Amino acid sequence: MTDIAKIAEEVMAAGLCSPRAGRDPVNQAMINNWTEAIGDTNPRYLEWEAPPAMTQVWTMRGLHPVSTPDDPLQIMSKALDDAGYTSVVATNCEQKYSRYVRIGEELTVRTRLESYAGPKKTALGEGWFFTTESTWYAGVEPVATMLFRVLKFKPGAAGSVGKPIQPLVSRDTSFFWDGAVEGELRIQQCGKCGLLRHPPGPTCPSCGAAKPGYVVAAGTGTVYSFVVHHHPPVPGKQLPFVVALVELPEGVRVMAELREVDPASVHIGMPVQVGFAPVGDFVLPVWHPAGYTPPAKPVYASDLPELTFDVTPTLVVSTALATRDFQDVHHDRDLAVARGSKDIFVNILTTTGLVQRFVTDWAGPEADVRRIAIKLGVPCYAYDTLTFTGVIAHRDGNEHVIEVTGRNSLGAHVTGTVEVTLP
Amino acid sequence: MTLNAAIVGIGATEFSKDSGRSELQLAVEAARSALADAGLRPSDVDGIVGFVMDSNAEIALARELGVPELSFFSKIGYGGGAACATVQQAAMAVTTGMAKTVICFRALNERSGHRFGQVSVAAASQVNTSGLDNSWHYPMGLGTPAATVAMAARRYMHVFGATSEDFGRVAVTARGYAATNPHAWFYKRPVTLAEHQQSRLIAEPLRLLDCCQESDGAVAIVVTSADRARDLAQPPVHIAAAAQGSGPDQYIMTSYYRDELTGLPEMGVVARQLWAQSGRNASDVDVAILYDHFTPYVLMQLEELGFCGRGEAGAFVAAGNLPLNTHGGQLGEAYIHGMNGIAEGVRQIRGSAVNQIAHTATVLVTAGTGVPTSGLVLSS
Repeated sequence: MTDIAKIAEEVMAAGLCSPRAGRDPVNQAMINNWTEAIGDTNPRYLEWEAPPAMTQVWTMRGLHPVSTPDDPLQIMSKALDDAGYTSVVATNCEQKYSRYVRIGEELTVRTRLESYAGPKKTALGEGWFFTTESTWYAGVEPVATMLFRVLKFKPGAAGSVGKPIQPLVSRDTSFFWDGAVEGELRIQQCGKCGLLRHPPGPTCPSCGAAKPGYVVAAGTGTVYSFVVHHHPPVPGKQLPFVVALVELPEGVRVMAELREVDPASVHIGMPVQVGFAPVGDFVLPVWHPAGYTPPAKPVYASDLPELTFDVTPTLVVSTALATRDFQDVHHDRDLAVARGSKDIFVNILTTTGLVQRFVTDWAGPEADVRRIAIKLGVPCYAYDTLTFTGVIAHRDGNEHVIEVTGRNSLGAHVTGTVEVTLP
Repeated sequence: MTLNAAIVGIGATEFSKDSGRSELQLAVEAARSALADAGLRPSDVDGIVGFVMDSNAEIALARELGVPELSFFSKIGYGGGAACATVQQAAMAVTTGMAKTVICFRALNERSGHRFGQVSVAAASQVNTSGLDNSWHYPMGLGTPAATVAMAARRYMHVFGATSEDFGRVAVTARGYAATNPHAWFYKRPVTLAEHQQSRLIAEPLRLLDCCQESDGAVAIVVTSADRARDLAQPPVHIAAAAQGSGPDQYIMTSYYRDELTGLPEMGVVARQLWAQSGRNASDVDVAILYDHFTPYVLMQLEELGFCGRGEAGAFVAAGNLPLNTHGGQLGEAYIHGMNGIAEGVRQIRGSAVNQIAHTATVLVTAGTGVPTSGLVLSS
């Protein structure tokens, strides 16, 4: 048995940790901060009840947490940090609410280690999963429970090696990059002698004229030569990938990544067609096999009205602080980037809150949320857009089970189930 | 005009993966060693030539060496293409009287410091025409030297039917010489063609063993006039020819827009000058030290330099009639940006090489390929 497994077994055997009290009673000021940040206008949070998705917020440990030596999450985090599994990502969160808590109530929480698994190979790198079960009490009455599953992993074992490389642009080359934004593959043409030329320059090497113009290429060509890149990692690319030098019917060659292709099937003479891919502030031309049709933009069914959030840095930061989550990756872009993220990103307590808002916006203020179980997918970074859809999976009288999905430009950020009782 | 110049001193540090010293210290150690080899003192030096890519200014090296005055100093660009051109600059300076004694050098912590084998974001984002040139390639994913060579290698295979085994024999030859060179990183570690074929893919069609090493180390070369060379410690090695070359529609590693992608026209430019200046041709070469950062470009060089016809270099290397990279090359000895190859050329003329080829009178040395480049013909 590994040291980590041994520690985990001991923690599981120890059972529930000692009760930890929330720092403040349930109060309107924190509720107001939270509803403003989430954008939730449900009137029942203006009177005496707190949003159920806020339950964990009441016992968050703050910016300068006091050590709680028997807390299973802390013990496991430290053991895994010491073993090199220093990065953390929450993967699942299931909260059940017996009732809504009220202004003035003082909550305590007790937690136990429910299960663990590892080491596992994951897309993020090698890591360990562990699940804690927490119960919140108002006095002696349990009011909510949560199963919380996290992955602690070794960073850098897989994934990104930095930001994609962007082109340097001069006044001689900007027409090309402007064209890519317009979906045009532009080839420089001398305004005097008509010579086509790529890469472009300020004057014509043939006639000497400084009258550069351009033509829009048909966008087809054949592979003149290509590379299958295996090593080392290249910023913004998934290994292996193909780079192809393509001969255009217009008579020039243009090099770009050849995508949507099995590297083993690429050959000199292969017909290709141009496509365009946004990378950071730029659009790059890419090659696709001839005949490739990009997948149609999917349409997702939704019984509930769609809800879209512009994920501004303000949304990310204000929700993180309103949920008392002071992890730097949620408010400090430099540190988030240094830890391998593209930007600051939405924390899990906020995702839970957004899911709840999506459902209660539809269900109305009289509805009671009983359970929110979510699975986290791709991160939700600042400057993205997050759109929720939901379908009614099951209905039994007033009891509804809603399957919720929140998608952003990277894919599904959250999928989950909300159980709600309508009046 | 005939060059009146000779190499009179060579010096180097050990070649390693982690020198543990600054690049300036490496440069100083190699320069002192080269001066000692020549029987010269720092006060004799009045010229220094370096690489644009070197982190050491000529004046920094002069300060550390205690060189009192410099009347000639320059830097050559285009990466390893600079190697032989540093000696060309020195030879021109001593021939014209602009300098009497010139140190040419290259010092780099290229394994423990900035690794050329990784993707250089700095190369892609430099604000100059080279950064603009790289913008047609780096953002598309072509960001390592190996990948840039692989693009041409694939075309060469397609046009001439060359194979990965043809590339592999270059590596096997180099590692064979390195195996008997105590200064080589791969001393006592030869490879077989089968091992080459089993080595992992880096930038297909290139495999790991098609790629040179990343190394820490420094090499310095001392050049003076042929007249003065006669009185110094070592038998002079004459610079029979020295040339630079850049070809049509030239780029740095990505000259992909020419009519053909199967040769190195810039090396053809160098070759024509070398043979004209020296009155020799490929058949006169006793030992060839050809820049070998990646194996396919060794084959293309043999063709550009006239050792064989287009597409014939694979068979030429397999025949093994030309002693090639007898120190182990950059594949086997160390990657000192081509300067260690010049030192090997000098040793072969002197008769002091560890893998000495008998009766060597003429040595050809070339510099970095795929870039504007340079070459030397050395003679006894």
